Amino acid sequence: MKFLHLILRSFFRSKRRTVLTILSITVSVALIAILQSVLATLDGFANNPDASNRIVVRHKVSITNMLPMRYEDWIRQQPEVEAVMGLQWFQGVYIDRRNFFPNFASEAEYVTAIFKEEIVDYSDAQYRDFLRDRNGCIVGKALADKFGWKIGDVISLQSEIFPITVRLTVRCIFRSKRPADEMGLHFNYKLLEEGVFYMKGRTGNFFVRVRHPDDVPKLIERIDRHFRDAVEPTFSETENAFQLEFLKMMGNYTTIIQMITGAVLVAILIVTANTMAMAIRERTIEISVFRAMGFRTGQILLLLMGEGVLLSILGGVFGLGLAWAMAGAIRNVAGTFLPYLQNFTIDFGTMALCFQATLGVGVLSTFIPAYRATRRPIVDGLRSL
Amino acid sequence: MNGEPIIRLRRLAKSYYRETLEIPVLQGIDLDIPAGGYYALMGPSGSGKTTLLNLIAGIDRPSAGELDVCGFALNGLDDDELAAWRSAYVGFIFQNYNLVPVLTAFENVELPLLLTPMGRRERRERVVEAMERVNLMDRMENYPRQLSGGQEQRVAVARAIVSNPELLVADEPTGALDAKNAEEIMALLEGLNRDLGKTIVMVTHDPKAAHHARHQIHLEKGVLDRTVEVNR
Repeated sequence: MKFLHLILRSFFRSKRRTVLTILSITVSVALIAILQSVLATLDGFANNPDASNRIVVRHKVSITNMLPMRYEDWIRQQPEVEAVMGLQWFQGVYIDRRNFFPNFASEAEYVTAIFKEEIVDYSDAQYRDFLRDRNGCIVGKALADKFGWKIGDVISLQSEIFPITVRLTVRCIFRSKRPADEMGLHFNYKLLEEGVFYMKGRTGNFFVRVRHPDDVPKLIERIDRHFRDAVEPTFSETENAFQLEFLKMMGNYTTIIQMITGAVLVAILIVTANTMAMAIRERTIEISVFRAMGFRTGQILLLLMGEGVLLSILGGVFGLGLAWAMAGAIRNVAGTFLPYLQNFTIDFGTMALCFQATLGVGVLSTFIPAYRATRRPIVDGLRSL
Repeated sequence: MNGEPIIRLRRLAKSYYRETLEIPVLQGIDLDIPAGGYYALMGPSGSGKTTLLNLIAGIDRPSAGELDVCGFALNGLDDDELAAWRSAYVGFIFQNYNLVPVLTAFENVELPLLLTPMGRRERRERVVEAMERVNLMDRMENYPRQLSGGQEQRVAVARAIVSNPELLVADEPTGALDAKNAEEIMALLEGLNRDLGKTIVMVTHDPKAAHHARHQIHLEKGVLDRTVEVNR
């Protein structure tokens, strides 16, 4: 503790250099925290515990091939099944493509049964209105707030997949546990069947809710076995696996993010090592004087490494602060067109990871020049100018 | 001066190596310096006087011979033991003062005491005492850049004596000072030897400075040439 003031005094010996180094660490740590949080957010999306008892059934060939709606009857008869619903990704554009949000043609009567964990709070009266009105839709609160929609408002969605524009009346607004889950819109499947002739009796996916998650594997196997020899064979998977397939379309983002993180870490390591090497080199005589006075190797290492670690800790803390502020901006800005990012946050795990990484950088970048300084003969150090 | 040798050197030798080439710097040095002695090491450049001072101060190791200082055989101590020995027994005064620029005069003088178990209050008392000794009480909160060369060297002297070491080693303590300040520093060292009984070994080129010592040891090409008692 009595050496702390020595560390602090040396730390601010060259204020400009210290501030610039802290800034470079701050920016790098913020970048790492954001990248790792993006990864955590996407992973969370594909590892949604709320989706553990949901199966998505699609055409075996690809997600663009349709399945007959009649498959639903057989699936519903399976004892493990709690609910099943035909659902089609509509990709409707509201006024401008930049207003992107997920929208689906869904079998209205099953929407709340299938997405029980997402559609958690809604008015029964509004929901009944939605079921009664073929042109009705149910929307998340965050989405309604974003565009200022109220019950009874009419909105148009022009599909980018189907040659149809639907005019929908907002009939029900629901609340979810997470903001990202409030960014969706469901409208009555019949509207799609009526507007697009080749969608009559056909759907892109069935969402199946299983009574118990343990039954998921055997049900997947049974569904696919049952339809194996049909003209339109199925491919079933958990909802999380289905989401992961979409994420994979972005490429191997995990590797890309980890590579960028690694590169940034190496960059901070080099910057900090350079700063500490300079700081230690210009104090060669001073370190030798300390040693001559009787400071032992361990004490000199403590003083020098204390500076390096303090430098990286400050950079790390400021970096996490910056990342925290940026996370808010990302939620508010990017989250409006990338619903995945509605839940974007710097979680504790990411903060701990960044903190450990910066601590490691502080120790690694200082140890070698500090150790060398303690190994240099005192008389050589006193002679150097 | 009680006559007991505080420094005892026998057949002391030191060589440096430039790649495989051995360069002898000191050879066969036999020397006894009694406690309370004040010795000036003199000789031309390259005669080995600074090397001898460094060996006596325990910041360099001999190539051969025996080196007993303040009751310790320094050859037998490892690096950390030697560091602990230096902090307890040796005070250093350098030609360029070597104060830490980011610490005040008070904090510079306090540095050696950080290696002791002393509490803050006791450290403060010791620093004040040392600063009074060098007559710099009014400069305690000044940084080295706010002091003159003479004042800086007086702070360095205070730092050297604050832990009350038996031995003071000074390498050209007046080398960077003008005549007036040099005279003040020499008077200060003389007082420390006379009043506090500190053993002082000083390297100097300056005959005036050397005249303040009680003995002058002359080195020539790494060999002890002669020891002369100073007549005043």
